[in-house]
Amino acid sequence: MLKNYLKIAFRNLTKYKFISFINLFGLCAGLTCCLLILTYILHETSYDRYNSKADRIWRVTRSFNNPEGVVSLHLGAVAPPFGPLLKNDFPDIEQVTRILPTGPTAFHYEDKIFNEKNGYFAENNLFSVFDINLTEGDRHTALADPNSMIITRELAHKYFGDADPINKLVQLDNRINFRVTGIFEPLPENSHFHPGYLLSFNTLKDSLIYGENNLLHNWGNNAFFTYLLLPKDYPAKSIETQFPAFLDRRMGDNYGPGVKASKFTKLFLQRLTDIHLHSHLDEELEQNGDISRVYVFGAIALFILLIACINYMNLSTARSTLRAKEIGIRKVSGAGRPELISQFLCESVLIGYLAFIMATGLTVLLLPSVDDLTGLHLSVTSLLQPAVLIPALLTPILVGLLSGAYPALFLSSFQPVKVLKGLFKAGSSTASFRKVLVVAQFSISIVLIISTAIVFEQLHYMQNASLGFNKDHIVVMSYNQGLGKSFNSFRSTLLQNTHILAASRSSRIPSGRLLDEQGASTESGDSLRPVTADIKYVSVDHDFLKTYGIPIVAGRDYNRSYATDTNNFILNVAATSVLGMHDPKQLVGRSFAYGNTKGRVIGVMDNFNFESMHQKIIPMIFTMPADSVANNNFNNLSIKLAGTDIAGSLAWIEKTWQRYLPEVPFEYTFLDEKFDQLYRTEQQQGSLFTIFSGIAIFIACLGLFGLSAFTITQRIKEIGVRKVLGASTGSIVQLLSTDFLKLVAIAACIAFPIAWYAMYHWLSDFAYQIPIHWYVFLAAGFLAALIALATISFQAVRAALSNPVKALRSE
Amino acid sequence: MIKITDLQKTYRTEEVETIALNKLTFEVKEGEFVSVMGPSGCGKSTLLNILGLLDDPDGGSFIFNGIEVAHFNERKRADLRKRNIGFVFQSFNLIDELTVFENVELPLIYLGVKGPERKQRVETVLDKMQIMHRRNHYPQQLSGGQQQRVAVARAVVNNPKLILADEPTGNLDSSNGNEVMTLLTDLNEQGTTIIMVTHSEHDSRYSHRIIRMLDGQAVTENILI
Repeated sequence: MLKNYLKIAFRNLTKYKFISFINLFGLCAGLTCCLLILTYILHETSYDRYNSKADRIWRVTRSFNNPEGVVSLHLGAVAPPFGPLLKNDFPDIEQVTRILPTGPTAFHYEDKIFNEKNGYFAENNLFSVFDINLTEGDRHTALADPNSMIITRELAHKYFGDADPINKLVQLDNRINFRVTGIFEPLPENSHFHPGYLLSFNTLKDSLIYGENNLLHNWGNNAFFTYLLLPKDYPAKSIETQFPAFLDRRMGDNYGPGVKASKFTKLFLQRLTDIHLHSHLDEELEQNGDISRVYVFGAIALFILLIACINYMNLSTARSTLRAKEIGIRKVSGAGRPELISQFLCESVLIGYLAFIMATGLTVLLLPSVDDLTGLHLSVTSLLQPAVLIPALLTPILVGLLSGAYPALFLSSFQPVKVLKGLFKAGSSTASFRKVLVVAQFSISIVLIISTAIVFEQLHYMQNASLGFNKDHIVVMSYNQGLGKSFNSFRSTLLQNTHILAASRSSRIPSGRLLDEQGASTESGDSLRPVTADIKYVSVDHDFLKTYGIPIVAGRDYNRSYATDTNNFILNVAATSVLGMHDPKQLVGRSFAYGNTKGRVIGVMDNFNFESMHQKIIPMIFTMPADSVANNNFNNLSIKLAGTDIAGSLAWIEKTWQRYLPEVPFEYTFLDEKFDQLYRTEQQQGSLFTIFSGIAIFIACLGLFGLSAFTITQRIKEIGVRKVLGASTGSIVQLLSTDFLKLVAIAACIAFPIAWYAMYHWLSDFAYQIPIHWYVFLAAGFLAALIALATISFQAVRAALSNPVKALRSE
Repeated sequence: MIKITDLQKTYRTEEVETIALNKLTFEVKEGEFVSVMGPSGCGKSTLLNILGLLDDPDGGSFIFNGIEVAHFNERKRADLRKRNIGFVFQSFNLIDELTVFENVELPLIYLGVKGPERKQRVETVLDKMQIMHRRNHYPQQLSGGQQQRVAVARAVVNNPKLILADEPTGNLDSSNGNEVMTLLTDLNEQGTTIIMVTHSEHDSRYSHRIIRMLDGQAVTENILI
């Protein structure tokens, strides 16, 4: 029986080539999208699972509350004392391991000097927690001694060539020698951090580097990413509930005499495998993914597949008249409905498998392009794990059943009597069902078109909106402490080039996050009253506002002729409002204290977007303490170019840099590139949306093309009669197109509220969003209508131009 | 073998109600060859469809082989049909996508006959119909007469007790028509009951008895010898 089914399925496939092509191609495109999206989803959900103890590893995170109890900051890292204290106070914890990111560090070996990124200080028990493959060296001792370091093979090759890297001495930051004690394999891409080199944690005990005292008592330096290894199936929540008591016990009077630490700070445990998709804390090791993106793309995959399945349903029921005779004959030959239903399902499953085979090939071919677009390294091999492969292989059955069920039920219900007497006409009920399906397809397509347009509109807005300062022609680089007191001379040398306008040091630069905060007090009567609102600070030097072109709205900028400016502050307008002032001028000249510095507010700058447009502009203060240089407050150097001779300016900067810092590699980026980086996710999302909505509408049109071809064939007599009676070609095209355009119009009405709702939610992630314009909806509707019209009119025009006599004779 | 009493069938559209069968009563004995004649729209085809268990009557009784089948559901009708009834149509109704062999094989597949036996039975009947040499051809590659012989082969391959023929020669020239009628007569002589709807007086003369219908009723009955 099955052989007979397959035989006729194949013969039908080859006999109706056009319809078969549409069905196969549509399903294939839909399945390809699904497979591509599936590889992406598998990649995203596989993060950190390569660790054999993944389900037992938890990360400790720390939040900070303001006096009102509102969380003002939540970091993925904690202060250094927490690790050992947790291990001590909670005996069930098997291991605690900490890593501390180092920031870009200059590696100096013989004549080679490069800045290396992705370095971490790591405790020696890192290997007992994470799966890190040490190909050379001893995992028990590699990171035990101070000043030992393990590096990747790639890094070893870069510095030592083919020589044995073990025991080689490399100078870091021009001051400390590290001995290479091991080589490790780079962590897989689906890891939430990717160290290029690991330095022994014990090195930090050196007081010249960090100091044991700091490790034990510095509660303020929350930069230590701390991981716990718990016993299998251990209820981590039971530890979490004891954290407040632990904080009160261990932090003592850190928040003032008698003040419970748990009122101002909290610790949390976060599952290692949740970090990539569920953690969006203020400080993360690398940019994480987002579970909502996984859901969105999952939904898109299903929608596209649905559109392809709808094509199948539509075309199968539409050409039911062609198969009616066969069904009638089978029925009189003894076939019951169950046999016929199985036959048609068998056909759709067969087409499902053919499409699946083609889709698998296409997926392999297209994956490299998707990688280019997303910057990911997706792997087809991820599809080969049994947990994925088996459901994937069953997908065509599901697709076949989904797309074949309705046609099977419908076709098998034919009355053989009518069919075989030639009295059969596809009823109006199936015609309306087909219309519903076309409406569904176009609704989905229009939603995708609108979403694509809005994603790009928002992206364009973010990339081009005025940030409140001029981000163009600003070169940024890591500030090197080696410049020290010679910075002024360095700056003067830079400015000798007339194409260089200004240079400035700061603790953070725009495009980064604003996370640093100290307590502020403001003048109230003749004393200082603590400010409850959060005001984030940036340490700057005299030329920061000038370099960035940030406008002052009241008071003045820092000025070298005022020696006391090192105790003075500049706030932004947002800060004036939280301080209860309406007019920035009111604030200028007032006494103000921030951290340990007491002075005056000398100026108020206009609000500007220091952070990305995802974040609201928050109250901010610029400080310029005299001991900034001594305290290593500055991490960044920004240089404003005139933009007239960029190549010349960069060459001059490099020359100057090498003169002052011959041992430090010269590396720079442009600030606008850094800002563009902030919207990389949205850029990728936009590109993917474009592709997927393009595919969706393409598949929908493919179906429409087939359907219109079919419908028009059925109306060929009507067209002939109308032409004989004097209808013009135009009027016939109009007649044939209007029916379909009505469907697109209904689809638009359904799609608009759905798209609005979806995009309203998407935009709510951004602090600064575009309004949702009505014309985007209208344009999307028109675009869909236009594409549909183009699709239909091809057939309609052909029908309208045909010879009416021929059409009438065909009766 | 067949006994129908007061059989009724009415077709309704939104505006018109057409009575196709109006309290029709007659009987067909096993081994009989009966022709049903009458003008277009007199209910001949409706009758054939009900007799063939393809359609159900609105009222009356239909006893097939001693069993009341008038109110059988689709599944039961299909089951009874595939074991007992073969059909021959005016327009042959062969499946274009299947070869001669495969078309004839179809009823046996639905009967669940195993492959080797199926092959042997199909070949026997194709041989009998003198169409064996065309076994791998598709219907479009055959002449009308050949197609109708294939259709007859398909109708008899499962040895049905009853063959219902709906104007079997309507689309054939006279020599091909006569050939088909001879085939039917041979089958009847071997014991198969045949009920044939026809417009052709010539064809009707092959049967034992003619039932003439008008407006859904049997008006006369001629016994032919």
